[in-house]
Amino acid sequence: MSEENSAATQYLSFILAGEEYALGILRVKEIIEYDTVTRVPGAPAWVRGVFNLRGSVVPVVDLTVKLGLPPIQLTRRSCIVVVEVRQGNEDIVLGLLADAIGQVIELGPEDVAPPPAFGTQVHVEYLLGMGRVGTARKFILLLDIDKVLSGQEVLSATALRAPPGEDTERTTGKVA
Amino acid sequence: MTPEMEKIHGLFLAEAEEQLATLEQGLLALERTSGSPPLASLQCTLHTFKGGAGAVGLTAAVELAHLLEDLLTLLEARAVVLHAGLGSLMLQAVDVLREQVGLEPASESAQRLPALEVRRLLESTLKASQPVQARVTAPERPASPAEPTAHREHTLRVGLGRLDRMLDLTGEIAIARGRLAEMLTQAHRYTPQQLMEAHRDGDRLYLDLQELVMKVRMVPIGRTFQPFVRTVRDLGLAMGKQVRCELSGEDVEVDTTIAELIRDPLTHLVRNAMDHGLETPEVRQARGKAPTGTLSLRAFHDAGTLVIQVVDDGTGLDRERITARARTRGLLGPEETPDEGALLRLILAPGFSTAERITELSGRGVGMDVVKRNVESLRGTVSVDSLPGQGTTFSLRLPLTLSIIEGFNVAVGGETYVIPLQNVLECVELPAAESRPGSTGVFHLRGSPLPFLRLREHFALGGSTPARENLVIISHERGLAGLAVDTLLGQGQTVIKPLGRFCQGLPGLSGSTLLGDGRVALILDVPALLQQALQAASPAALA
Repeated sequence: MSEENSAATQYLSFILAGEEYALGILRVKEIIEYDTVTRVPGAPAWVRGVFNLRGSVVPVVDLTVKLGLPPIQLTRRSCIVVVEVRQGNEDIVLGLLADAIGQVIELGPEDVAPPPAFGTQVHVEYLLGMGRVGTARKFILLLDIDKVLSGQEVLSATALRAPPGEDTERTTGKVA
Repeated sequence: MTPEMEKIHGLFLAEAEEQLATLEQGLLALERTSGSPPLASLQCTLHTFKGGAGAVGLTAAVELAHLLEDLLTLLEARAVVLHAGLGSLMLQAVDVLREQVGLEPASESAQRLPALEVRRLLESTLKASQPVQARVTAPERPASPAEPTAHREHTLRVGLGRLDRMLDLTGEIAIARGRLAEMLTQAHRYTPQQLMEAHRDGDRLYLDLQELVMKVRMVPIGRTFQPFVRTVRDLGLAMGKQVRCELSGEDVEVDTTIAELIRDPLTHLVRNAMDHGLETPEVRQARGKAPTGTLSLRAFHDAGTLVIQVVDDGTGLDRERITARARTRGLLGPEETPDEGALLRLILAPGFSTAERITELSGRGVGMDVVKRNVESLRGTVSVDSLPGQGTTFSLRLPLTLSIIEGFNVAVGGETYVIPLQNVLECVELPAAESRPGSTGVFHLRGSPLPFLRLREHFALGGSTPARENLVIISHERGLAGLAVDTLLGQGQTVIKPLGRFCQGLPGLSGSTLLGDGRVALILDVPALLQQALQAASPAALA
């Protein structure tokens, strides 16, 4: 993506399973509080359901399932990052479920290291690079969201389906 | 040129521009991809273009398109290999087609070949590759070919009067809103009844506006039917058949999207009827029929749906040939004898053709597939009726509007689902004595057994079944069936929203809608849902 190559790029970071991930900020349309999401029977396991974004029906993607991370726990800080992604030759709007929102960071080309060959929690293919922020010792993983969504799930869809009871509660229950 | 012809020609030009652009993109994509090329959609586009060009009498374009179609067939059968020279020849042919129908060619004039040259080259290419046998084995077609849809803005003429009325209404709504807002800021001075009254005033205006907007989308179907009169006449002349084209229900209003998407299926149905259905005068007389055949296009409303029929009084479908053809293609087992309806539905399968020869008009088996796909994309159904020797009737059953349906809301657990009201016959309570756990069961409805599907189990929603369940009884092709749900919420207007990527096309769901509280509710696709149950259960369960 060209936006990641320009001199200094802004990223929005969010927390998933304790790790900080980031997306190019031009991809992010808005951030909204997690509210009722309607489960869609038969949809891929990583589609948590659909919700109403001011009159249009938008799918919510659970990246933890897609990336093979520990399952997300809904808390008061859970939110949906509404992004625009490119699939095939159309732009589609969808929501990404996140544990919490991190920060807006600015990274120049020198702050982004290429992803290591292995060792990251997420498959290297899905990463644009590793962002270094200030003096922090931790890297922020820069996600290539187009690739993530077009790629195959890490685990088979059925293996990750939660027990039915818990699932319904998690998807339909409003977060207190 | 008569004003009428001019209109038809204008319609054709707009379509041809889109079709040729699609064709060009398709050919270019063909060159880029190795492996199995997406030929089916190209053939459909070309076939439709050919039909249109024939209707406005552009013989040269029809012939050239036919050559191209032959070439595509050879490509599909892998009798010729697509190389750069052939690719550019085909693209040049597209440009020639553009020129012949009166559009601006896309390439530089220096690179263009004269029409005759292109034709000669195509013909020699075809001749050079040996004629292939009719395909015996079914070619693998993609289940849902992703057709590159050209990005072209769709426009609609709207009477200025209607627009003015809409503008007036918007103004009135603005006033009503302002009044309500003012009343609410000083709510203590009004009774709740007064506030409600003010709200209702605004609501009435809003509903008027909604109705008007929906009406604006409606156009008389006659405009879609008109061009076929000419098609029938010209085809009749070309084939030495005497056919009278009859139209009825031309003033039936349909949604503009339906009117647009129904044109291709109608083209194919009319051409099929002309080619295979209707006989020559001699044959008709020998069979004791009037020498002039009749082809009718009808539109009417029936039970909340729009029905469009293409009726011919020709030879009817040859059941034996369909059966034989289905056997060779592996659609039917050697011992299987399908019932009437199932047999006739076979002809809608992609690539299915009983024609012995491929003519300019039909025989490639592409047409019926287009019909089925287009109609299904409009949430409609196709059915075929045929009497041997007396003719064939194709009925396309379509929803009246695409965006609003009457829905029946039901709740299961915390979720709300909408069942299209047209499917719902009645609702009964499921007695606790008759309910056994499990995803399906049988209920005694006034003496006859009624199979039912428990939505909670079917969708794996979890949670416990409540003490009292309700059964929504729905009618489908094979009779009655029930859907067991927790609560019945009642009926209402349902605005259909597409489910969007990732959730589209899931079996059992046809879309979604927004509820009053802002939540999303899913709209059930009842026939598909029951089909699933049928497949899951033993085949005898729903007999």
